[in-house]
Amino acid sequence: MTHHGILSSLLIAFQPVNFLACFIGAVIGTLVGVLPGLGPAAAMALVIPLTLKLGPTAGLIMLAGIYYGSMYGGSTTSILVNVPGEPASVVTTLDGYAMARRGRAGAALAVAAIASFFAGTVSVIALQLFAPLLARSALAFGPAEYFCLTVLGVVLLSNLTGKSRIKSLVMMMIGLMLSAVGIDPLGGMERFSFGFESAQGGVSFIALTTGLFGVAEVLSVMTAGEEPVKLLPVRFRELYPNREEIKRSVAPVARGSVLGFLIGLLPGPAATMASFASYGLERRISKHRDEFGKGAIEGVAGPESANNAAAGGAMIPLLSLGLPFTPATAVLLGGMLLHGITPGPFLLRDRPDVFWGVIGSFYLGNMMLLILNLPLVGFFAKLVRIAPRYLMPAVLVLCVIGAYGDNGTLFDVWVMLGAGVVGYTMRKYDYEPAPLVVGLVLGPVMERSFRQTLIISRGNLSGLWDSPICTVLWFVILVTAVMPFIIPYLREKMRNPPSSDPAA
Amino acid sequence: MTIRKELASSLVLMLSGVVFLLYDIKYPLDQWANPGPGVFPLMVGTVWVILTAWQLVQSFRKPGSPGGEEKGRGDIQSVREFLQRNRGEAKALFMIAVFITYLLMVKWVGFFISNFLFVITSSRLLGAKDWGRPVALSTGINLFCYFLFEVWLKLSFPRGFLF
Repeated sequence: MTHHGILSSLLIAFQPVNFLACFIGAVIGTLVGVLPGLGPAAAMALVIPLTLKLGPTAGLIMLAGIYYGSMYGGSTTSILVNVPGEPASVVTTLDGYAMARRGRAGAALAVAAIASFFAGTVSVIALQLFAPLLARSALAFGPAEYFCLTVLGVVLLSNLTGKSRIKSLVMMMIGLMLSAVGIDPLGGMERFSFGFESAQGGVSFIALTTGLFGVAEVLSVMTAGEEPVKLLPVRFRELYPNREEIKRSVAPVARGSVLGFLIGLLPGPAATMASFASYGLERRISKHRDEFGKGAIEGVAGPESANNAAAGGAMIPLLSLGLPFTPATAVLLGGMLLHGITPGPFLLRDRPDVFWGVIGSFYLGNMMLLILNLPLVGFFAKLVRIAPRYLMPAVLVLCVIGAYGDNGTLFDVWVMLGAGVVGYTMRKYDYEPAPLVVGLVLGPVMERSFRQTLIISRGNLSGLWDSPICTVLWFVILVTAVMPFIIPYLREKMRNPPSSDPAA
Repeated sequence: MTIRKELASSLVLMLSGVVFLLYDIKYPLDQWANPGPGVFPLMVGTVWVILTAWQLVQSFRKPGSPGGEEKGRGDIQSVREFLQRNRGEAKALFMIAVFITYLLMVKWVGFFISNFLFVITSSRLLGAKDWGRPVALSTGINLFCYFLFEVWLKLSFPRGFLF
């Protein structure tokens, strides 16, 4: 089955249009990773309208390419410029840039690219093995189970940004509320459209995401101002790590791949969490602990493999359950829905071409990225010098076209501008836009499954927890919801145990 | 972030939640056996209001950070300092105004002319010192948009009333 899967996935990925889509996605992803500010979620939202012309398989291959391509690109600027292109590469700056300053930039870049390739490939193999298994088990899921899963998603993802849990939940509620705009999915009644004809079909996903990520980012850049970037030179012949560096990288890459993949299965900023966890692990167990922060190759190899493996791991809940656990996979899910593809347990049965095509493109994309990122590393690094005053107007125009192209109406462009202003203001008040997007995507599934469960159980609320799967899921939800409050309390108690000797 | 800002943001969000709940009342709830279109938004709105109320209470309970609050001195010096401190925000506000003008212009003069002017203006606003490069950039972006989106992808952009 697995061999058949690998073969068919590669055959689909090697079709000319899919091959080209994968290449373009990988290049855009690398660019996004290189350029600070614009993250993979924003770039994917901008590109969705373009992919609609390509068809679902090629379109989704391109979007997935942007997602994992950005993980590769992020390391280039972290090492050469000390500017992480995206949050998952922040930790690479610690030792990567230190290596570059010691004249080992080429070796650091090569190790980062090879580590990313290895981890990416490992995570695709695991994805190929586990996603169909999980999808088959999920076939036993009914509306009640899906409702529980979405509630679990909301509770788990409340820690999506790593900042205030309450603020994340508020943003998610706003996303869920926005998902209710338009025609009611079961009764057909028009809701919250305020008389606007264009709002009857619901809030445009592209308009909202391009506004929240793209326009808000441009406004934030304007507020922050710009600083000139200094670039360290690297020559092609310097790209060979020496024997010692290779030997010291092998184990961190293997550990980072496994750790990253497992963290990728969890909700939250998986790639960033994985890279930091890997760095912490390597520093703890390394024989060269004193070199960390001064240019230890383990500090590049571990985190770079972990963030790429996490990107593959995060695809499992998306493809097999239809649940996005990261902002980027939420946008990918939005793209799938716009292509008429519903990810989840039925994806493998109904659209095997899309399922295997996307998985096959991961193998192909990883190879392309390795080839792109080694010889062209100097070129990509130079792109970081593009000043925001020239880059940001282009981003704004792409946002406008993205929002307009979705339905061909200027109303969506106004929605995008509104979302951009709201997103910019919210960021200033520490409310991150990512949970809102997740809420917007989970909302329709949550509402439909909730109402269907009540209809099936004839209004009996116990229908929501009757089945064994639901009981287990509610238990997990309860534990997950309560733990963040109990753990600090217990920690505090352990730190200051109550005095057993009442002197009074 | 100052406590005043924390309080203001929580209050605005809580009031938005209340307005949303009040608006939701006009949709039928029906019965549990066949829940109507108002049920799910009602649940979401309730959680939303509870969370923001909790956030508001938390903001009240936070100890005040010394020097965190802005003191209203009211003299010219403080106004100047305020403007200096918020130069970035002023730029962002100006950008929003330019964007609104651009969107209004699209209806009248069409997408490409508005776009041409918008790119130049926004580039200058973002710090471009000369005119040559923004004009070249704008021309390039417009040509790219025309060939990729209009010619190849057959996306029809607004032409404007005047043309």
